[in-house]
Amino acid sequence: MKKAILYLNQFFGQIGGEDKADFAPVINEGQIGPAMELNKNLENAEVTHTIICGDNFMGSNEEEALKTILEFLENKEFDIFFAGPAFQAGRYGNACGVICKAVKEKFNVPVVSSMHVENPGVEMFKKDVYIFKGGSSAAKMRKDVKVMAQFGDKLLSGKKLLPADEEGYFPRGIRHQVWLESEKPASERVVEMLIKKLNGEKFETELPIPKSDRVAVAPPINDLSKANIALVNTGGIVPVDNPDRIQSASATRWGKYDISKMEILQAGQFKTIHAGFDPAAADADPNVILPLDVMRAYEKEGKIAKVHEYFYSTVGTGTTQAEAARMGQEISEHLREANVDGVIMVST
Amino acid sequence: MANLIPVAKTVGANKIVPTISIPYPLGDPSTTKEQQWKLRYHRVGVALDALTIDVKEQTIFPVKI
Amino acid sequence: MKLELGNFFVKDITFGDNTSFNNGTLTINKEEALSVVREDEDITEADLVIVKPGDKVRLVPVKEAIEPRCRVAGGSVFPAVTGELIQAGNGRTHALKDCSVLVVGKHWGGFQDGLIDMSGEGAKYTYYSQLKNIVLVADTNEDFEKKEQQKKNRALRWAGMRLAEYIGNCVRNLTPEEVETFELEPVSKRCEEINKLPSVVLVLQPQSQMEEMGYNDLLYGWDCNHMVPTFMHPNEVLDGAMISGSFMPCSSKWSTYDFQNFPTIKNLYKEHGKTVNFLGVIMSNLNVALQQKERSAQFVAQMAKSLGADGAIVAEEGYGNPDADFIACIVALEDAGVKTVGLTNECTGRDGASQPLVSLDEKANAIVSCGNVSELIELPPMETVIGELQSLARDGLSGGWAGDEKLGPSVKEDGSIIMENNSMFCGDQVVGWSTKTMKEF
Repeated sequence: MKKAILYLNQFFGQIGGEDKADFAPVINEGQIGPAMELNKNLENAEVTHTIICGDNFMGSNEEEALKTILEFLENKEFDIFFAGPAFQAGRYGNACGVICKAVKEKFNVPVVSSMHVENPGVEMFKKDVYIFKGGSSAAKMRKDVKVMAQFGDKLLSGKKLLPADEEGYFPRGIRHQVWLESEKPASERVVEMLIKKLNGEKFETELPIPKSDRVAVAPPINDLSKANIALVNTGGIVPVDNPDRIQSASATRWGKYDISKMEILQAGQFKTIHAGFDPAAADADPNVILPLDVMRAYEKEGKIAKVHEYFYSTVGTGTTQAEAARMGQEISEHLREANVDGVIMVST
Repeated sequence: MANLIPVAKTVGANKIVPTISIPYPLGDPSTTKEQQWKLRYHRVGVALDALTIDVKEQTIFPVKI
Repeated sequence: MKLELGNFFVKDITFGDNTSFNNGTLTINKEEALSVVREDEDITEADLVIVKPGDKVRLVPVKEAIEPRCRVAGGSVFPAVTGELIQAGNGRTHALKDCSVLVVGKHWGGFQDGLIDMSGEGAKYTYYSQLKNIVLVADTNEDFEKKEQQKKNRALRWAGMRLAEYIGNCVRNLTPEEVETFELEPVSKRCEEINKLPSVVLVLQPQSQMEEMGYNDLLYGWDCNHMVPTFMHPNEVLDGAMISGSFMPCSSKWSTYDFQNFPTIKNLYKEHGKTVNFLGVIMSNLNVALQQKERSAQFVAQMAKSLGADGAIVAEEGYGNPDADFIACIVALEDAGVKTVGLTNECTGRDGASQPLVSLDEKANAIVSCGNVSELIELPPMETVIGELQSLARDGLSGGWAGDEKLGPSVKEDGSIIMENNSMFCGDQVVGWSTKTMKEF
């Protein structure tokens, strides 16, 4: 039998109401309140412990609460972690999300919760936690707990999971290909969707447009003539032997290359390994992607203080946004350490 | 510096200077070396100046060459 | 324009004395067929193999698929490519159905080449596992690109087309089992009943991103990089006016067979006169500079509007920066008041968490999605490999790799493989075969 642990707030943990919302976390052996219901419904696991924490305690002492609870769990064996259901209770929803996310990161076990669609915890944590679409109040306790238990059983049994809509949890922003049971080919789906759109009928896109990323604007450089400027590119400019074996497509690696003694990037010494475009122009003159030659000119003129000793390179074609973001973060750590003030980032 | 402004905007770049194409962002091989250098010098210069400008939202900086 | 496609359904393929079609059996004289392949001196080695659904066969690197056909009144199946430039889409063409000519490199693969499993778990990833295939396995003396990741594959692709014509010729004088008729009245001469239906165009964005000649899709032999969008009769696409190119990760590619059988065109024909008035095809392209992308989008929207289109379908042959052409075209059409649905695949990463297209816009609110190029696929060893299995790992195929920190090489010692969907031969089937979609997890 596998083992499960459930997180509850002070109310469902039977400590008390709003007056007990400052209750510090405790861990109890066995099942309290909804934990009994969960245990009854779980087929593949037993609920061994119930953790209880006041909503306000978690809200105002999050760090301490997390530390305490993670310590509770340190020496416990468990295969899955549940929290809630939190219904429409905002602070409880937040607490369930916070603790589930931390438990998943630290112990790498699946985490499952349930909340009403209007609970702010849904937006905040649906990417990190399986949050099931639950009722707005405790009247739905049995139903919501049952759903969590059934999904927990499925996770523990290693059965293939269905898409979020079919399982009933809020989509986590993870998209995978699936074969349609109807076997309806795209040629029919696309014409049907067009006819519906033309007739003003409701249709469902297969690719809902996600909100675009926003990045905080970096503060401007006050005095460019004192600035250290680095060159970064996604055009795959590397020394001809590609020492870091950066992939020509779907890259997961990046490289940094010393240019401190160079006036320009020489053809024959550098080339592009980018598979997404005709490399002829950049192989003949790598400066068309990595403009070292004009940067040296600006350095001589005194427009900038210096060109950073290294340039940084990866390949942008087929490279996923997640990998690109990770590489960007890694590169920016190097740049910060080297006191780089600004970056010219050339993308192809 | 990017040619695909819509992509740069979609991924959240805040200061964008247009380049001329994907395979050769900063120098058209069908033009002379001098012309390529001039274009590259100008556009990189615009990018350097852009680093000193305080923007509140995603901004595309115009280029002349 | 009226196209009659006379169909001969192939139930079996064998080698024999005479290349002929009889009672569902296609017989091929191997030597004669290979002599057609060898007409090009660049072909150094060539062999033919027949593979059928269920065979324990893995094919890699696959470069092209073509349906064997002949033009009954004479003339090349692929005008201005395998023969003189003539009008495609009019008259009678005979086709051998349920089979294709597959072109496989004997050794060398490239970025654009793919893999087909004829049976087992891997079979579901490509359309071609359900066809009987005449496989041309060959090598060439095109040494300049032997070690290049990007290959034009000219000699091999052209040999495949010659072979498809040679085989197709055997049904020239026979009576087809079925005749499909494709006919559209001129746009301005349609009857009241059809005119009152919503008018739609199909916008195609074939692969055309290489500035050097020899890699891109060709339209009547013309490199699609060198054109602005143009209006076409759908019959032309179905009848050999378009041939596939040799660029782009393979699962996103449209083979020549895909163009010849374009399911979305056929479905629009089916709906024509019932639910829609199918105006025709706007052949656009994919580009490498923003202005080129915007110019094409502007042409498409203007043409759709001038033709009186109420609706449009836009399909792209590719992903990555082509998504910018795709989204720009949809936005231009929507801005012109043409209600538009997109047809594409996505790149959400192995973990599925990445942004699906590199360019996005809220106006693209209706999209049919055919798969994730970066989905990780593990497949057991296969009894027989046609081509060279190592090409998947060695030659820079878009979904293969020589080494990976976590996953090791794509090709394991026992012949099992791990790859990205990227290298499944024309796997995402954006032309319309795809029964795949994308779901959120």
